Amino acid sequence: MRKIRYICLTAAAAAIVTLSSCSSTPTAENPSAPVISPQATEAVSENSHSGHAGKEKININSAILSELDKFEAKLGVPALSNKIQAGRPYGSPEDLVTKKVITQEQFDQIKDQVGVQEVVLTGEAKDVDYMSKLGLMKGHLLVAQELLDQNQPKQAEPHIGHPVEEIYVDVEEQLNERKVKEFKTTLVSLQDLVKSNSKDSKVKTNFASSMQSVDGAIAALPAEQRSKPGFVLQVINELLDSANSEYGAAIADGKITAPIEYQDSRGFVVYANDLYKGISSQVAQADPEAHKAIDSSFAELIKVWPAAIPPAKAVKTPNDVTKLVKTIEENSQKVVDKSNTKA
Amino acid sequence: MPNNFALGNEKPWSRRQLLKLGLAGAGVIGAAGLWQMLNLQSKSIVKVPPLDMEAPDDGTNPMKMLRDFDYGTVKQENGRTIREFQLTAGTSIIKLNSAVSYNIWDLNGRIPGPTLRAKQGDRVRVLFLNKAGHSHSLHFHGVHPAEMDGVRPISNGKATIYEFDAEPYGVHLYHCHIEPVTRHIAKGLYGMFIIDPPTPRPPADEIVLVMAGYDVNDDGHNDYYAFNGSPHHYMDHPIPIYQDQLIRLYVLNIIEYDPVVTFHLHANFFDVYRYGMSMTPSEKADVITMGMAERHILEFAFRYPGKYMFHPHQDAIAENGCMGQFEVVAQSKSQKTVNNS
Repeated sequence: MRKIRYICLTAAAAAIVTLSSCSSTPTAENPSAPVISPQATEAVSENSHSGHAGKEKININSAILSELDKFEAKLGVPALSNKIQAGRPYGSPEDLVTKKVITQEQFDQIKDQVGVQEVVLTGEAKDVDYMSKLGLMKGHLLVAQELLDQNQPKQAEPHIGHPVEEIYVDVEEQLNERKVKEFKTTLVSLQDLVKSNSKDSKVKTNFASSMQSVDGAIAALPAEQRSKPGFVLQVINELLDSANSEYGAAIADGKITAPIEYQDSRGFVVYANDLYKGISSQVAQADPEAHKAIDSSFAELIKVWPAAIPPAKAVKTPNDVTKLVKTIEENSQKVVDKSNTKA
Repeated sequence: MPNNFALGNEKPWSRRQLLKLGLAGAGVIGAAGLWQMLNLQSKSIVKVPPLDMEAPDDGTNPMKMLRDFDYGTVKQENGRTIREFQLTAGTSIIKLNSAVSYNIWDLNGRIPGPTLRAKQGDRVRVLFLNKAGHSHSLHFHGVHPAEMDGVRPISNGKATIYEFDAEPYGVHLYHCHIEPVTRHIAKGLYGMFIIDPPTPRPPADEIVLVMAGYDVNDDGHNDYYAFNGSPHHYMDHPIPIYQDQLIRLYVLNIIEYDPVVTFHLHANFFDVYRYGMSMTPSEKADVITMGMAERHILEFAFRYPGKYMFHPHQDAIAENGCMGQFEVVAQSKSQKTVNNS
């Protein structure tokens, strides 16, 4: 009896194995049209030794708008840069076609310049990226300073931490080549100090040197570049884009329930506004209409963050903030495009 | 949506029923008997009771998440199977109870993120887009090269690609690895990553349970806890399962701040497949201790219909939301008649 039972179980087990091996590969039955994509595979293997084979490629997953403008200009498709950005992420360059961002014919014209793998940024794109990262650090520190001044070290601490935790690694490799002294140690020791003893008199001096370090790193970019509207506007929009997401992450049911994200966005907007003040007269001259739109949007935007400690009720909805940020971005793009065609 | 089990009209098969059939067929055992058995078997494997899909109107949908597996898009490249997954980090608001709303970081609009599923040896390609403000990343558990380890921050608005081979088989996980990792995980950037063994596991009703905590005031202590994102949801909406059917639970503990929790099942014992990395159970238990990021496969079947709770035996954690129940549904008489004929 036991033997028979055993045989049956074996049979059942065999059946199960057979059946489940049929049913357990469900996706094989409906794969998206098989894409033979030698480029993608090549790109992967290039990953370890990128940046020396032929033409520079633009990473459509991470490029800033003005870099993507090269495709927009070449193909003459209006707002293509934004469309490419909106279609992220891309698994392969061909996804530009499968995701219907451009047609196959258009893709054929630019395919040599498109990549999805990490590329080493060069030229202006690299500088915009560098300054944007430092701008985010600066925003964090600005709001940390306000909170320290209001004797809120606990609230200030995350904003001292974020520059090291989230951003520093992205600029670290460039500091040497830009002849900037490392300042991770400075930031970390300030964080340690605020965490352990926020009343320590050294907090003030450490904070000042942290801020100086970030300013110093920004100053490694040529002053001329830092006063060029086309350049600064790109940085401003990177900052506002982050601020916009952070603000959305701060509000629930019309109330500010995540003060950290509210404060992050405040810092970014305050610094972006400062940057704009530095170039506003030039923008006003080059494109009065764009200036008017940007200027009035900033005036509206800045009111959303009345103080570092959040108000009980949100001044504007995340949707309204998104609209203002988009208005600034669209008008900036006009100015950036103009300065690019001039160059 | 692909399913890893077929939904037949017949009554689900349990080990016990297979046994009965085996005994009945003892007289005619042989090719014919086997053939008949295979035939019967081929139509039904696992059946899932109908679900009350009523869900909160936000990034949580605990009923759907139970059996929702993302197998990715399958592509063939140079003779290899590539499973491509798309994960986008965003921000959203969920309701923890009738009075408390909470801002989370979500993946593809949900918390926890999609349960990604591949087969050992597949090439896995994850397209990750960050639209959640802060820098984020995806760090996968498993074996892969350093550059695919997902600890480098991906800034807001940027996308990146993680690509590696799915190995070894087991129940794994993925999560954001940006400091402070506690906060980045606790606010929602995590999900389960299952790598199926080369020889599939026996058919079962497969269910995912992810335990997580919510620190709503950023003080480093959890205020609420949940299975699959929503506190108390499975207490109010018990998970229907069939009597005598093999249930395979994929359980992950991603609770930050509390170093350890247990998982306890009422009125039963389960077979434990630690980390899902073997085909034979290591032990039988009704409580299993799980440290941070530990995950296991637990298998069991319920003998009697009724409602049975499951929860960490840290009862304070259970009482604050990490608590649910199975509703064991009896097979209906009519179904039995159909099947036995």
